[in-house]
Amino acid sequence: MAEIKIFGYANKISVKQGDSIDLHVSADGTATADAQLVRLIHGDEHPDGPGFVAREIDHPVNGVWSVKKQFTQLGSYLIVDDSERRLNIGGSFSLFCYVWPTLPNKGRRQCVMGRWDTRTNEGYGLGINPQGRLEFWVGDGKEVDYVMAELPLIKKVWYFVGVSFDHETGTATLYQDGLLNRYNSLIGKVAPYEFSSHVQTKFRFKQKNREDVPFVVAGARDFHELRGRFINDTYSGKIDRFGVCNRVLSREEMDSIRGGRRPAEDSIVAFWDTTAGYTENGIGTSVLDTGPNALTARGVNHPVRCLTGWNWSGKNDCFRLSPSEYGGIEFHQEAVTDCGWEVTKTMRIPGDLRSGAYAIRLRAGDGVGLSEEYIVFFVRPAKPESKLCFLVPTASYLAYANEKLSFDAQIIQPMTGQPPIISDIDIETYKHRDFGLSTYDSYEDGAGVSFSSYKRPIVNMRPKYRISSMNIPWQFPADLSIIGWLEQCGHQYDVITDEDLHREGLAALAPYKCVITGTHPEYVSESMLDAQEDFVALGGRLIYMGGNGYYWCVGFYEDEPWCMEVRKLDSGMRAWAARAGEHYLQTTGEKSGLWRNRGRAPQKLTGVGFIAEGFETSAPFRRMPDSYHRTVSWITEGIEGEIIGDEGLAYGGAAGVELDRYDLSLGTPPHTRIIASSGGHSDNYVLVTEELLYAYAGLVGTLDYRIRADMTYFTAPNNGAVFSTGSIAFGHALPVNNYQNNTSRLLKNVVDNFVKDGELPGGSWTLEEKQWR
Amino acid sequence: MVRQDHAMESDDRDVVYRRLFDKKQREYLRTVICDEIIEEHRKSPLGQHTEPLERLLMYFRHAPQRDKYVVKRDGKSGKFRIAQLSGNRDAPLSGVNDREYAAAEETYHEIFLLRVRELMELDA
Ligand SMILES: [Fe+2]
Repeated sequence: MAEIKIFGYANKISVKQGDSIDLHVSADGTATADAQLVRLIHGDEHPDGPGFVAREIDHPVNGVWSVKKQFTQLGSYLIVDDSERRLNIGGSFSLFCYVWPTLPNKGRRQCVMGRWDTRTNEGYGLGINPQGRLEFWVGDGKEVDYVMAELPLIKKVWYFVGVSFDHETGTATLYQDGLLNRYNSLIGKVAPYEFSSHVQTKFRFKQKNREDVPFVVAGARDFHELRGRFINDTYSGKIDRFGVCNRVLSREEMDSIRGGRRPAEDSIVAFWDTTAGYTENGIGTSVLDTGPNALTARGVNHPVRCLTGWNWSGKNDCFRLSPSEYGGIEFHQEAVTDCGWEVTKTMRIPGDLRSGAYAIRLRAGDGVGLSEEYIVFFVRPAKPESKLCFLVPTASYLAYANEKLSFDAQIIQPMTGQPPIISDIDIETYKHRDFGLSTYDSYEDGAGVSFSSYKRPIVNMRPKYRISSMNIPWQFPADLSIIGWLEQCGHQYDVITDEDLHREGLAALAPYKCVITGTHPEYVSESMLDAQEDFVALGGRLIYMGGNGYYWCVGFYEDEPWCMEVRKLDSGMRAWAARAGEHYLQTTGEKSGLWRNRGRAPQKLTGVGFIAEGFETSAPFRRMPDSYHRTVSWITEGIEGEIIGDEGLAYGGAAGVELDRYDLSLGTPPHTRIIASSGGHSDNYVLVTEELLYAYAGLVGTLDYRIRADMTYFTAPNNGAVFSTGSIAFGHALPVNNYQNNTSRLLKNVVDNFVKDGELPGGSWTLEEKQWR
Repeated sequence: MVRQDHAMESDDRDVVYRRLFDKKQREYLRTVICDEIIEEHRKSPLGQHTEPLERLLMYFRHAPQRDKYVVKRDGKSGKFRIAQLSGNRDAPLSGVNDREYAAAEETYHEIFLLRVRELMELDA
């Protein structure tokens, strides 16, 4: 019997009481699975904590579900809406486009454009053949005729390619010219390559067009017994403006198009202008046809846009400055932003289901390892009634979704200082790739992954999961340690997610007195950041419970909250670097990269910002002189001695993993108090790159005093306040000894006071006393 | 002398220098291996170490991904084994031996010993 494997995802990450949610499940080796709604309380199985804790909840959805294997379309491509079959061309025609192939030597066919059925061999196509050469082919269902260029394509060089096919005579004329300039390609003019190839041949066969085959850019239609129709022969690389003409174009006409001019208007069947549709807020995923038939090409799995085109001159660094130089649109064979599985079950969230983290637990067979799945989602109240709120950093969950660093990142063992611990689930997702990549991964051609979506199973957004490279829970399973703490803290609380905050802004936070973040809220959109800043300025209290927070600028399309975009650039601890000229988000038009590089360092909101990371040991905090000041001594009330957090589920201390530091030069509010600081970190803790102007020896834990976590507190207007832990490991320290430890006690002091209306302790001191240092 | 056949193995000539560099590293690192260093690692595989041990560990960690040692956790039994990255996407881990460990931490020193043994045997 085949091994039982079960995976799923939900169509929403955040649901309100009374809402419905769709669950999509795929299974191997079983036709049924036992489903159970559970409330998730704690997720880390470390023996020093409470272990995995979940409560089963009665719900009509519980019971045996019918499940089946579902298939995923991998690869980004464009599919043309052509209901009138304008591209079902029976006679002579020409195709043309600019290409910047990234994997021409992949050794398999890559369709650049055409109306081709790879199963029946019908239609026409232009692409790269398994030998890495430009090829044009036609097929009639029995025979295929083709013509290929004399030279292989060179990777990451711009070319203009095209073909004219004379239906009467069978003459096929292939056109290929290099368009490399000083900026637009990987190599420059001094590399002595040949780029041009012009080949003419006579075909014996003509194209026969099937009615139902779509015109596809960066792929071609295929069929498989089990999965049905799908797109295969996908292409990796950039494409710029492309089109179809209804007759043979002469060499001179092709030369003219190559130079950037439109074909003769009366010849155009379609002319897709990848530079059309830019606004100052970015561009959508559909490519507009500016020809007479307006045959829009729809993007699937988020082709990447706002990229430099064939004519990029290197002077402008943004599509807003020179849209005509930004016709580049990039495709990747491994991209997936929506698995597109059929809905297995729809469930209604009961109106009285308490706000929190929930999952549908699915088990089949022995229900262990690959045969157990948790589809996680968050329930928020229909009407907020709590004073306390946990802001679930779902954007950061997306960023790390299904990361594969242990397998693919050469830097990971030097970084984490330990061999990775790889589970069956890691291997399964790595092997099959169907669940896509994270923004910490790169595609096969080296380009960083800039989109991440939750419309796919996310194997590391589950309880119990440990990130293989570091052997600790990371993001969601780590944040369950905060949820576990909240469950026992004696206060009623709600959860809301980044998605809610992004969409609703301040209104999502306004009902609450105190908001607690996750352990690593690293990815934030402008509206998320604005909302939190306004919340604090208007009197809200924020507990920033993590390290390396408020770091990357991310964007979402308004109608696609499940799919996040980020580009990594300039500086910062980053898994990849966006290419020159490609630093702006297509979803919003904003410059991506670090918020710090856009004038909004995290210190301005939280008092602290990223300073170092390390992964094999953690350290405790030591109280700093400020903590004894009358205005803040309430924070450490009941804590004996100077040491805080000398235990924890992440490497044995409350200060570790990623550390944030107080820094007036980056906008820490000047009256901020440092309650406690860590220190004595090992040399595995290294200074973050955004701090570097010159690199020099000694920027490591035992040699650089800046490498520490600062636990800070400051008051804000209208009785607002911000308390920051400055450390990812702080949250992991809470559950030790069943939440009876001084990290937990300190957090309780803060929360107990932050949820109260009116002045904070210390607030009754006079202005003069508050200025006392 | 750089042997011609070395230079022809890869399109990327950078690899050639890396091999030479690593060989020099190993020559030095073989001189620091001693019972004390091995005992130091056994006592605390993670965290701050003395300078020679730290250098040795950095050499091991900086190795290319292919054949690098990792730990495999069995989803059913929860037990740990030592494995290597195979470089093959369809079967990304290859087993090293059948020995099982109850805790991941127990494998760290075993991996260290395997790496030390290889270091001593290489270039011979
Ligand atoms: Fe991070």
